[in-house]
Amino acid sequence: MVNRAKIKELMNESACSHSKDKKPGEGCDMPKPGMAAGGCAFDGAQISLFPYADAVHLVHGPQTCLGASWETRETLSSYEGRDHTSMGFTTGITVNDVIFGGDKRLADSIDYIMQNYKPEAIFVYSTCVTAMVGDDIDMTCKLGSQKHGVPVVPVHAPGFVGGKNLGSRIAGEAVLEHLIGTKEPELLTPYDINLIGDYNVTGDMWQYLPLFEKIGIRVLSSMSGDGRVGDIRGAHRAKLNVIVCAKSLITLCRKMQEEYDIAWISVSFYGQRDTSFAIREIVKALGDADLMAKAEAVIAEEEAKLQEKLLPYQKLFAGKKAVLNTGGNKAWSIASGLQDLGIEVVATSIKKSTADDVEKAREYLGESGVLMKSPASEQSKVIDERGAHILLAGGRSLYTAIKKKISFIDVNQEKKVSYGGYDGLLNLAEDLKYAFANPVFANVSKKAPWEVA
Amino acid sequence: MEFKKIELSKREHKPLQVNPIKHSQPMGAALAFMGIRNCMPLMHASQGCASYTKVFYTRHFNEPIAMYNTSVSDITAILDGGDYSILMAIENITKKNKTLKPEIIGLHTTGLTETKGDDVRSVGTHIEIPYCYVNTPDYEGGMESGWALTAKALIVQHTKAATEIKPNKLLLLPHVSMQPIEVEKIKEFCEGCGFETLALPDLSTSLDGYLSEGQGKLGTGAIGVDDIAELANSATVVTIGTSMIMAANALLQKNDKINHIHFNHLMGLENNDNFVAQLMKIGQNEPKSSVKRWRGRLQDAMLDAHFLIGSSHFVITGEPDMCVGMCELLQSVGGTIDALIATNYSPVLETIKAQNVFVGDLEDAVTHFEKADLVISNFHAERLLHSQEKHTALTLRGFPNYEELGNQLKNDQLYEGSAQFLFEVANALRHVKHGR
Repeated sequence: MVNRAKIKELMNESACSHSKDKKPGEGCDMPKPGMAAGGCAFDGAQISLFPYADAVHLVHGPQTCLGASWETRETLSSYEGRDHTSMGFTTGITVNDVIFGGDKRLADSIDYIMQNYKPEAIFVYSTCVTAMVGDDIDMTCKLGSQKHGVPVVPVHAPGFVGGKNLGSRIAGEAVLEHLIGTKEPELLTPYDINLIGDYNVTGDMWQYLPLFEKIGIRVLSSMSGDGRVGDIRGAHRAKLNVIVCAKSLITLCRKMQEEYDIAWISVSFYGQRDTSFAIREIVKALGDADLMAKAEAVIAEEEAKLQEKLLPYQKLFAGKKAVLNTGGNKAWSIASGLQDLGIEVVATSIKKSTADDVEKAREYLGESGVLMKSPASEQSKVIDERGAHILLAGGRSLYTAIKKKISFIDVNQEKKVSYGGYDGLLNLAEDLKYAFANPVFANVSKKAPWEVA
Repeated sequence: MEFKKIELSKREHKPLQVNPIKHSQPMGAALAFMGIRNCMPLMHASQGCASYTKVFYTRHFNEPIAMYNTSVSDITAILDGGDYSILMAIENITKKNKTLKPEIIGLHTTGLTETKGDDVRSVGTHIEIPYCYVNTPDYEGGMESGWALTAKALIVQHTKAATEIKPNKLLLLPHVSMQPIEVEKIKEFCEGCGFETLALPDLSTSLDGYLSEGQGKLGTGAIGVDDIAELANSATVVTIGTSMIMAANALLQKNDKINHIHFNHLMGLENNDNFVAQLMKIGQNEPKSSVKRWRGRLQDAMLDAHFLIGSSHFVITGEPDMCVGMCELLQSVGGTIDALIATNYSPVLETIKAQNVFVGDLEDAVTHFEKADLVISNFHAERLLHSQEKHTALTLRGFPNYEELGNQLKNDQLYEGSAQFLFEVANALRHVKHGR
């Protein structure tokens, strides 16, 4: 069932940089009526676990929870068995289950899944309604697990306990409690790491995993991009946890450090500088001189290759200025990528950023960069004042770009290609090249015949 | 998976849904409120329900979506009877956006807030802005009923009773699966026959893919709360889709002089002939020459398409009111419907003559894909079809269609839309049947 004490603990994570800005005991923000816009805890939990393609993800709740969320994320998998990440499973409870309880339906559903799909594990997500009516999901999962001999993991992140971020932490707790340490890996190397928080959206991970291979870093398990349940069960034997662009799974890493003595670092793979920095951090943490030397050689080789490929773009983009309006770590990670391409980032948004993110944004943009606190009202002015050529923002800002007759890229839209790693930068460069060249924004902004005086 | 015959029933045939096509009642209600002018759709739910719904429609329509929520938390789930969350939400939203001037607040519930049993009706007494509430738990019904219940609630709560009628005033009640352009086309059709026409809900000016500033803050539908108040003097109410009959009945309660005419759908020659005949009878007007011209084009399209469609097998999935029209139109040119898999039970499904008609999901539908030449389904069917060796054609219809553009401007209604639909299907068939 939902555990209040655990939620309180997760909302006051000592290792989280957000906590520095808070009074003791204040914890993460609770959703305010009318003001919360993002996904709920269930959403976050599902995002964090769903990429396990060898597991079935069963949503125990009414229709909205899964009906509107399946097949919405481009989390790619190389799994050769039946890929469950492109499928949706829900108990889709009805009024009878609300009155009499949904445990029987859940148990029958688990049986049905094992009979027809034979996954390596089942994640069972509780939702607002099934948490509220008090279904004994823990027991049903335990019995299901005993009956079928695979892990059936309850994930207690009903939407009303909080936002996406909290749900992601709860998913981490579920994995820690039910999976990690339940199986020994068949093979171990001194350079084993766990990747935490990269969901392999549009194949982001595949941009940098070949580099790891060249250097000799081995990914023991992933939480959860292109992940396997079997691997995460042996994650406790890794030498290092690497968090990729995610604050939400810090608790998991802190606890793994306490329980299994695994150190952790936090990195990002957007842009050339961040990718090189990330690789150096990982090999440094693994502490092997040979590995470090190899990493330097690979970085030098890859950077040289990349520089050559970037040259035509950098020429093309010389003198171009961009305004960036997006949230969280994207505010500086995309900025970093743009700068690698030779574009001057004149402004970025710090609306929802932590003190850390603001610091980083300032570092990347320099003293003259504008850090926008309320980008919706500021961005028009900044575009005029600094003579920006492109706006990278969410769909709602499209109209600003049209009015200002400048190019636009929707950074929040589901991408089809990855911007991660060294090669991802080339994808970003291609998109920018076409955006700059596209006359559509100026063409669309023309006045209608009946508006011309 | 092996084939087993599933009967049409209100009861489910298995404990879970695998690859569901069903969408929830609150999502239908939210869409309906977006079809009202300056309406603030407010979902009484935890934040995820609204966030999912918003993303769902954003990706289907490629538009910013107006959608707010009361963000029920674990504490308010227990301690609050709805008053606090709803009133605070309205206060916070209007305080943050001073320029936001909603003409009506469209509040609808979800599984969570129905389970806790909030009295959303009484909250209305504390709100100064006109307020409409509708109970839409997502453990009952589906998108179609959520939309219909909202139309009904708007009439019950906001239409003033009347005793007189305006002879040429017509109200159109379209079912949920109609895209914005379809509502507009039918409205124009009725106006062309001399009627002053309103639609409820009216998406023709909302989510219709129209570039303007400051979108996605309030609903921009073509009907306002002031129009809704005066609906009871309509001479005629036209329901398209069985789900909408209850909304019409609610209107008849306000004025028993209103004439109600009903069509299960407006696809194909027969239903449109009946529609035109009825409008001619009421309006005493000949249809415009363009209407007559389109009838002839549909006749020709039927003949052109009959060869390909008449030798083909189809599987159709989706909301009942949408499926029934496609089914009958394809059958009218000789198409064989192997299976119709509906999201929810509806009495209209009983009228469909096909080998397999039942309520189910895409796991059930896939067992029929093998033999079919063409599948009509939402975008979720795409990956399932691609994984099959055999080339089965796919025509995307219904919610959601995340991949294709221009969903809001696809018209399958009336003589004109029916002709275009037949061509689209026949052309898709040509690729798989002649390409082999």
